[in-house]
Amino acid sequence: MKNALKTIACTLVALIVLDVLAALVLAGPAPASLKTFFNYGRSVPGKIAQWKANPDLRGNLLNVSWLPDLMDLSAEQAAARPAGDEPVVHTYGMSFVVRITDAAQKARPDLQLAHRGGPAAPPNFTYAAFLKDRENRRPGDVAVLGILSYSVGAMGSFSNRTWVFEQPSPFTYPIFLPDADGGLTEIEPVVETFEQEMSLEDDPDLAGRWYDQLRDQDRVFAPAAFDLPWLDISPFARLVRRSLAQGDIAGRKADIIARPEDGTMPYAEVLRRMITSFNAIAREDGQIPIVLLVQGRDPVDPDLKALLKPWLEREGYPYLATADHQSPRDPRAFLPDGHYQPDIDARFGQAFLEVLDRARQKTPPAR
Amino acid sequence: MLFSQLDFWYFFAVVFLLYLVLPFRWQNRMLLVASYVFYGAWDWRFLGLIAFSTVVDYLVGLSLARTSDETHRRHLLTISMVTNLGLLGIFKYFNFFIGSFVALADGMGMSVSIPVLYIVLPVGISFYTFQTMSYTIDVYRRELEPAKNFFDFALFVAFFPQLVAGPIERASNLLPEIMRPRTVTWEGISRGAVLCLIGLIKKVVVADAISPTVDTVYGMENPTGAAVAVGTWLFALQIYCDFSGYTDIARGVAKMMGFGLMRNFAQPYFATNPQEFWRRWHISLSTWLRDYLYISLGGNRQGKRRTQVNLMATMVLGGLWHGAAWNFVLWGGYQGALLVLHRQFFGRRRGSGEGERRRLLHWGGRLLLIVAYFQVTCYGWLLFRAQSWEQIADFTARLATIRLSDFANLPLPGLPFPAITGILLVLFWDIATEASGKVRFYESWPTLVRGLLWAVLIYAFAFGATTTPSAFIYFQF
Repeated sequence: MKNALKTIACTLVALIVLDVLAALVLAGPAPASLKTFFNYGRSVPGKIAQWKANPDLRGNLLNVSWLPDLMDLSAEQAAARPAGDEPVVHTYGMSFVVRITDAAQKARPDLQLAHRGGPAAPPNFTYAAFLKDRENRRPGDVAVLGILSYSVGAMGSFSNRTWVFEQPSPFTYPIFLPDADGGLTEIEPVVETFEQEMSLEDDPDLAGRWYDQLRDQDRVFAPAAFDLPWLDISPFARLVRRSLAQGDIAGRKADIIARPEDGTMPYAEVLRRMITSFNAIAREDGQIPIVLLVQGRDPVDPDLKALLKPWLEREGYPYLATADHQSPRDPRAFLPDGHYQPDIDARFGQAFLEVLDRARQKTPPAR
Repeated sequence: MLFSQLDFWYFFAVVFLLYLVLPFRWQNRMLLVASYVFYGAWDWRFLGLIAFSTVVDYLVGLSLARTSDETHRRHLLTISMVTNLGLLGIFKYFNFFIGSFVALADGMGMSVSIPVLYIVLPVGISFYTFQTMSYTIDVYRRELEPAKNFFDFALFVAFFPQLVAGPIERASNLLPEIMRPRTVTWEGISRGAVLCLIGLIKKVVVADAISPTVDTVYGMENPTGAAVAVGTWLFALQIYCDFSGYTDIARGVAKMMGFGLMRNFAQPYFATNPQEFWRRWHISLSTWLRDYLYISLGGNRQGKRRTQVNLMATMVLGGLWHGAAWNFVLWGGYQGALLVLHRQFFGRRRGSGEGERRRLLHWGGRLLLIVAYFQVTCYGWLLFRAQSWEQIADFTARLATIRLSDFANLPLPGLPFPAITGILLVLFWDIATEASGKVRFYESWPTLVRGLLWAVLIYAFAFGATTTPSAFIYFQF
């Protein structure tokens, strides 16, 4: 017993010494990659506070992709657009969609693009952006709704902060759920603007309501990612938090992905209703709708092609599924950061142009 | 409920606390209930199978002890074998054999239609059926007294730490531990905790982190020979860390409660020949196959040719034990052929590695042999991991035309830094165990150094525990 206690005491002391040493090394001469690795384990409030305190910090995602700001920018561009201008391809998506349509533009330089996106944005973000941007599109324009397999499991979330633990960009978006009339109910987040985000520290009422909403309604919210931010001082605690939070978030996403039709977030039905509404609105406005299904490299993601392609074909909705042109199981198709290789994007871009041309033949440009 | 998930540790904390406060008899009842809860958490529908197998073997064991009529005893043994092998046959092999038969008939131009069973393979079925069969055979051979108390016997069959992936315990080892009062000691707790910690590092920090790279290679359509080689080396590491990690945790958890489960791995990749490998790899299965299959077939007592046939048969069936697929049969055949060849050219004793372990680090020749035999083992893992005959042929051809320059340009994601740390720690652990010849080599170290070692292990575990827990590979067997 005495020996065991002695060993436990020695272990604890050694752990504390290791932790203090790690903290000193991380504060000083540690390589940037190691610092980043340990930083990933900070609590979400800790990371956001760090970004707020250091606006010039590399990789600061604090003021990125807030929907009202994107719409203000879109309105400015729409106002500056001359009458009778060439049709514009409005993309609502994320970096994958930007890269594919940029590759299409490279092949056809007269293609006019307007990107509205967010990092790893889930379909609820892209669909909400499409809805809010309605006034800024014109008849004859093209609307592209990007759906990324990686973020489909996060469709029950209000913000990347709850499900992208390592890069919790705080921009927000609504959650859409099926209603009884065949449409979608929209749940708006309590925090909708960058200004509200910045005021959270000084507005405990807003902060309280916001965190209550996240805890109660965000289906991917993991307490381990948010609670006890003061523990961020310990590198060891950051490692433990990272493990717990990542595991919890992955588990919640997996639960959602496992039940596409009848889970707490019936995402297959929500996606079908989003796409139906997207097509109806775009056509009503004399625009060409194109759905872009982007399959990422992670095999745990839902298979978008299997999930939606038969239905899209049946409904006659124009779409491009990246999995039709490149197997996501071939690692050589991807860059280390998870995006597709430029030559693969070029292939997708060409395929996009073909889909666009076919859709234009069916729907002559309105003027 | 995976050992690498928090759920299991909450479960174990409750079980352990109850275990500490309950008297001996109730400890066993509680452990039996806990074991059924643990198994039921996978799929409660298969609890009936365990219960059925338990009742049959318990009754057969009692009946065997009550009769000396050899014919009657043989019939009783047959009942047990048919029951256990029948369960395995239906749940694990039925569709495989039917599918193979239909494919063969198709190949011969005959159209055969036989319905397949739409059933899920019960987790751990190969482990617990082998465990109960060993009990009945031992009682039949009069090497073991049958268990009188049904609940003790039921706990022997279902003991949760080793229920789903072994070690495949012998009744002569585990039953006495169940039947006699056990003592929980600080020493047992600390030794168990160390086993759990090293097991978690193997599983979570190494095996789970390596897994995506291995899956990538074995999912590629046109990998380079270098990618196949690296993917297979990593699979060798993955399957070792995954399976031995599970065993370490199982032994650790049992150790904390005062049970001593058998050692299942003894630094297998330090083997220099197939005989030595099978003395170090999945020891509970290899000794089971030796004692209940190889020896029953006649072992080495009936001449050279028959010994070779017995070896091949044992290893092919051992391969099939791993799964209902032809690549496991091929892997078993490959291992059998290696054993036969080794026996043919080097005899039974020569090169077995006994007495050489401690000189490992001082003997360059042995190191070279270890590296060389590791490649032989790895080719076996390629057969084991491949998804089709075509892939085996394709990957083999790519290995045969491997170019060194391809290693400089591998189309694979690099291993995460924590995984590399974990691999180095596991390597250190195995070298220290091998070099000292002691499983608990650290116990002779000063307390302060030991404390530092535990702290480093705990830190390393936290450092690498960032991947999503995945199921242990051997659960599917």
